[in-house]
Amino acid sequence: MQADLWRRLDERFGRRQFLLKSGWACFWIFLGGWLLSNLRYLFPNVLYEPTLLFKAGKPADYPLGISEKWKKTQRAWIIRTDQGFYCFWARCTHLGCTPNWFDAENRFKCPCHGSNFNRSGDVIAGPAPKPLWRCAIKLADDGQLLVDKARLENRPGPREQGDFFLPYTRA
Amino acid sequence: MADKAPSLTPSVKKTKIWKSVFRHDFADTPRTRLQRIFGNVFLHLHPVRIAKDAIRVTYTWGLGGISFYLFLVLTVTGILLMFYYRPASSLAYQDIKDLSFAVTLGQLLRNMHRWAAHLMVVTVIFHMLRVFLTGAYKPPREYNWVVGVLLLVMTLFLSYTGYLLPWDQLALWAVTVGAQMAANSPMLGNEGPFRLPFITTTNDARFGLIGGTMIGDATLIRFYVLHCIAVPFIFSVFLCVHLWRVRKDSFSKQTGEKVDVWPHLVSREFLAAILVTVILFVWSMVLNAPLEAQANLNVTPNPSKAPWYFLGLQELLVYFDPWIAGVALPTIIIIGLMAIPYVDTNPKGVGSWAKMRWRRVGPIPVWSAEERPFAVSVFLLGITMWFVLIFIGTYCRGPNWEWYWPWEAWSHRRIAKMTLKNIPNLWGSLLVGSYFLLGSPIPQKVKAMLSAKAGPRAPALASAALHVGLGLLISAALFVPLLISPDADYPSRSRYTTLFEALGRCRNAPVVSTMYALVQQLGPATGYALIAVMIGLVGLLLGWAGMRFAKLKDRLYDELGLIKYSVVISLLLMMMGVLGKIVLRLAFGIKYLISLPMFNFNI
Repeated sequence: MQADLWRRLDERFGRRQFLLKSGWACFWIFLGGWLLSNLRYLFPNVLYEPTLLFKAGKPADYPLGISEKWKKTQRAWIIRTDQGFYCFWARCTHLGCTPNWFDAENRFKCPCHGSNFNRSGDVIAGPAPKPLWRCAIKLADDGQLLVDKARLENRPGPREQGDFFLPYTRA
Repeated sequence: MADKAPSLTPSVKKTKIWKSVFRHDFADTPRTRLQRIFGNVFLHLHPVRIAKDAIRVTYTWGLGGISFYLFLVLTVTGILLMFYYRPASSLAYQDIKDLSFAVTLGQLLRNMHRWAAHLMVVTVIFHMLRVFLTGAYKPPREYNWVVGVLLLVMTLFLSYTGYLLPWDQLALWAVTVGAQMAANSPMLGNEGPFRLPFITTTNDARFGLIGGTMIGDATLIRFYVLHCIAVPFIFSVFLCVHLWRVRKDSFSKQTGEKVDVWPHLVSREFLAAILVTVILFVWSMVLNAPLEAQANLNVTPNPSKAPWYFLGLQELLVYFDPWIAGVALPTIIIIGLMAIPYVDTNPKGVGSWAKMRWRRVGPIPVWSAEERPFAVSVFLLGITMWFVLIFIGTYCRGPNWEWYWPWEAWSHRRIAKMTLKNIPNLWGSLLVGSYFLLGSPIPQKVKAMLSAKAGPRAPALASAALHVGLGLLISAALFVPLLISPDADYPSRSRYTTLFEALGRCRNAPVVSTMYALVQQLGPATGYALIAVMIGLVGLLLGWAGMRFAKLKDRLYDELGLIKYSVVISLLLMMMGVLGKIVLRLAFGIKYLISLPMFNFNI
C-alpha cells in the first residue's frame, strides 16, 4: 500500500514529470512573453505630432462672444465675456467630431451623434457624457493670447479659474 | 471524324508535358467526373458526390460561395489598386484622385473594389441568415458557425480599415469615431469606465490602434497594413477552416438522391460567379465609388455618416454611452451570436427552411416558425432591429444628427432645442433591476412545492404576483421620478426646478409633455388622477406581457438548465432593453437611468 502510494506520487510529481512540466512551462512562458512584447511594439515611443501651443493674436481684437477664427486651423474657439477669455478645444467629448456653433440657438451641436453644449460647454442634450474641454490660456510676453491645447480642464469650478480663464476687462 | 483534316489536339495530348500537367482525359465518363474533382487542388475541397437537394439554388441561394467569390474579387482588385496607392497622408488622397482620373481603368477597379466590399457585407449577412433559418448550425456544425461569425466580424473590420485609405472626410471621421470608441473601452481606454490607474492618453487602447494621440500618418500606415495584409491573412486562415469544416462536419441536407459534383455543383458555382461579375461590372460602370473632400481634422461634415453597414452602430451611439454602444454591445452581440448553437438544444428544423405560419398569442397574431418558434422569432427580431437602426441612421438623420423624416428637407438653420434629463440613480436602479428580474422563471420543482403547500392554484397566483408586481414596479420607477424629482441641472443649465416641468415644456419628450399638458389643462387633481390611472395601466400591461411569456420562460428553464437559460434570457432581455432605452430616449427625453460620472459609468 505504502509503496503503491509512493509510486503514484512519483508518477505525478517525480523527476520526469517535473522536467516535462517545466519544459512546457518554459515553452508557453516564452511564447506568451514574446507575443506580448510584440503588443508593446505597437505603442510608439516617439511621436511626430504638431505642437499643441498656439498664439491667437491680441485680446483687443476680439469682440464679445464666440470667435470661430481659429476653428479651421487650430480646432479651438476663443470666447470673450465681459470678465475675460476662455478657450474651448473644438472636439466633442462623445466621440471626437468637431461641433458647430449655432448663434440663433446659443448652442454648440455635434454633427456625428447630435450632442448639444451650451456657451459654458455643459452638455444639454445628446449622448456626450462630459462638458467640452477648456484649454489653458494666458497672455504671452508680446501681449498675444497663448493657448495650450495640451492642458485641458472641464470640471465646473476649476475650469473657470487659474490657467483656464484669463481675466480681461479692458475695451 | 475520319474525313476531316487531322487535328493537332490528339498529338499534343500525347506529349509528356501535357500528360504531366493533366493526369486524366476529359471525356464525360463517370470516372473522369470524379477525377476532375479529386485530381484538382482547387476543386477537391468539394466532395465528388452530393445530395441533390443540398445544391438546390432555393436551399442555399449560393450565398456562402458568392461571399467567397467576392473575397477573391476583392483580393485581385485590391492587389491591382496597391500598384498606385501610397499610404502617406500627403499622397494618399492624390493617388486616389489619380486612380479615378488619370489611370486607365483605375476608376473601374476602385469602383469594383468598393462595391464588391458592400456586396460582400450583404451576402455574408444573408448567408448567416440562411444558415440560421435552415438550422444548419446545429450539432455537429456548432463550431463552424462560430468560425462563420468570426469571418463576419472580420469582413466588417476589413471594410472599416479599408475606408480610411482614401484619406477623405468620410474616412477620417469614421475612423475618428471608431478610434474614440477604443478610448472608451472599459479599463483599457483613457475615457472608459473603471480606467486602470496607469492608463493615459499615450498608452490606452486608442493609442495602440492609431499609433499616436491624433489620427495621422502613423494611423494610415497601420490601417494599410491591417487592411492589405494582416486581416486578409487571418481571414484566409479562418476561411480555410470554414470551408474544410463545411465538408468534414457533413452537410445539413443529407437526404435523397446523390449527384456528381462535376458538373452539377461546379456549373452552378460557375454561373453564380459569372452573374456576380456581370452585376459588379454594370454597377461599377454606372455608379462611382464615393470620394469626399480631402481629410481635414478641423472640419467635420454635417451630418457625418458612416457607411450604411455601420449606421446601425452609429445610431446606437446616440442612445448609449460609447463604452456601451461601441464596445460592450458589439462584444455581447458577437458572443451572443457565437453562443447560439450551444444554447439552442432544439434538434428540430435542420436541413430545410423554417416553415413560418400565423399563430395567435392572446389577441395578437404572430408570424412564427412551426418547429422552433422561439429561436427564429428572437433571431429575426434582432436582425430586424439592426436593419431598422440602419434605416433610421440612413434616412431619418439630418444636420446635427437631428431627426428628419425621409420626406422632410434638411435645414442647417432649423431651430431644434433638445433637452435630455437623467432619472435619479435610485429610481433608475429600481427600474433596471426590476426589468431584469422579469427574466426569473418559476421552475417545475418550485411549482410542485407551491402546489403541495398551498393548493393547485398557487403556482399561477405566484406567477401573476411576480409579473404584475414587477410590471407595476417598472412603471412606477419610470413615471414617479419624472413627476416628483427636482431637476439636478437647476439653476446652472436649466430654467425649471423639476424634471416634470423641464421635460414637459420641451419638444423632444412627447409622453412627458402630454402628461404636462394634461395637468395644465385639466387642473392638478384630474390631471394627476389620470396619470396615476395610466401608470397603473402601463404596469398591468407590462405584467400581462410578462405573464404571456411566463409559460415559455418556465419551459425554457426546465429544458435548458440554469446556465443556458441565464445566457439566453440575459441576451434576450438586453436586446429588448436596448429597444426600451431607445423608447425612453425618444418618447420620454431620458438620457441616463443610472449615472456615476466619477467612474465614467452611465446607463
